[in-house]
Amino acid sequence: MLEYDSAKRPPPAIDEFFQLIRYRDLIFLMVESILKNRYKRSVLGVFWMLLNPLLQTIVLSVAFGTMFKSSIPSYAVYLLTGLLAWNFITQTTQYAMNSMAYGGGLLKRVYIPRATYIIAAVGNGLVNLVVSVGALLVIIIFLHHEITWAWLFLPVSIVILAIFSLGLALFLSTASVFFTDTVDIYQVLIQALFFLTPIMYPPSILPPELNQLLALNPFVILIEVFRIPIHANHLPDFSLVVNAASLALITLVAGWVLFTSKADQLAYRL
Amino acid sequence: MENTAIQLNDVTVRFRIPHEKIPTLQEYAIRWLKRRSVSFSDFNALNNVSFSIKQGATVGIIGANGAGKSTLLKVISRVIRPTYGRVFLRGRIAPLLELGAGFDYEMTGRENIFLNGAVLGFNRKDIASRLDRIVEFSGISEFIDAPIRTYSSGMVARLGFAVATDVQPDILVIDEILSVGDVEFQKKSAQRILQYSNNGSTILVVSHNPSAIKQLCNDVIWLQHGLIKMRGSVDDIINYYSS
Repeated sequence: MLEYDSAKRPPPAIDEFFQLIRYRDLIFLMVESILKNRYKRSVLGVFWMLLNPLLQTIVLSVAFGTMFKSSIPSYAVYLLTGLLAWNFITQTTQYAMNSMAYGGGLLKRVYIPRATYIIAAVGNGLVNLVVSVGALLVIIIFLHHEITWAWLFLPVSIVILAIFSLGLALFLSTASVFFTDTVDIYQVLIQALFFLTPIMYPPSILPPELNQLLALNPFVILIEVFRIPIHANHLPDFSLVVNAASLALITLVAGWVLFTSKADQLAYRL
Repeated sequence: MENTAIQLNDVTVRFRIPHEKIPTLQEYAIRWLKRRSVSFSDFNALNNVSFSIKQGATVGIIGANGAGKSTLLKVISRVIRPTYGRVFLRGRIAPLLELGAGFDYEMTGRENIFLNGAVLGFNRKDIASRLDRIVEFSGISEFIDAPIRTYSSGMVARLGFAVATDVQPDILVIDEILSVGDVEFQKKSAQRILQYSNNGSTILVVSHNPSAIKQLCNDVIWLQHGLIKMRGSVDDIINYYSS
């Protein structure tokens, strides 16, 4: 018979993991409902999601296309891949944080694993990203950009992005429950980071001193690992992949430990 | 010990109440810069509460508003963990306090049965195998494929009740007198609860209304200011409680 003993619990970081496995169907159903709500009732459906990066790409290509023509071949592809990776990370983390800070009421009413919302947010982001990559393929064919076997590396890149986003989302969601203005602070931060990350410009336009500082921006390697196989048509360097993967894993472990250690307080705080 | 369904040992639930509300990092930082510490006080919603309930018993919990009834239920249904002490449950618990938790009003009744069922810890396959029975009990089969934002509040509650009570739980927690839907459905739901009680479910009834408790329970726990004031037979407790 099922037993619950509040005094006999494995460490939170482990307990939460097994609870999530028990409640895995809930996560799938939540992702399904997010996707259905988003697409069912709009005529353009899936295209809404693509419209945003696409319009951004068109506007930015027109504005900066000539400027970077010499330094970046097929600027539109460079831009679009950068935007997809960037949007995935930022939108997923923002979505997770918002659903925790404003929609976490369920956690106060019934028991569900505390990380359910956050995992569902990342799952939702992943589905969107995979659909976007499909659309990207169409656009790339249309632009006559070369497509190579390097594309097969993309699943690895996407997994790295997802692991990093999950870790960051766990960290930010914990913070947002304790301090509601985390949502606003993050909003400002990512706006600044967008310009500090080579998404719409090549890193080569920066002065050498600044270029070294880019090494401190974790988003750079994450975007590169996604962009290189599509834009540069070769596999990313082994060291780049190792760096990005380690960064993602460290972020996930740190976020997970922080979140699960504070998770018991969530129902008090939300 | 062998046939204990619920046991609480010295359970304390402490809420920290800040004297001023400081929910933002900004305010926190300003305060820190000014070297002013954050003042708060602790409030024990439950204070060293211990009791045990045998399997199959029907026990009432009575107390005024703010006595700690809701906190007690939250601790039993695992929503919050006790600050100190131990909560022990044997068996699957069905709290009928939050009917339809996780309902998404844009989605259909059918989709929500799965969603709500998953929130309650059932897997998809299990719910699928019981879907027809749930729909039939809720009595809204005609509308089951319409989004539940088009439902009346009674219909939503009926659907929630049908999902939550489809499988007999070992422990059933009921808030107040259960009033779900119309007279007919109320009868139907009361019957189901009675049937589960006869079949051995442990039932916990929570109310501030003596007559509701009197109807259902013999054994009553009286909570006051987060402490157990008294436990005993329903007549005794209600005599004291009402005076």
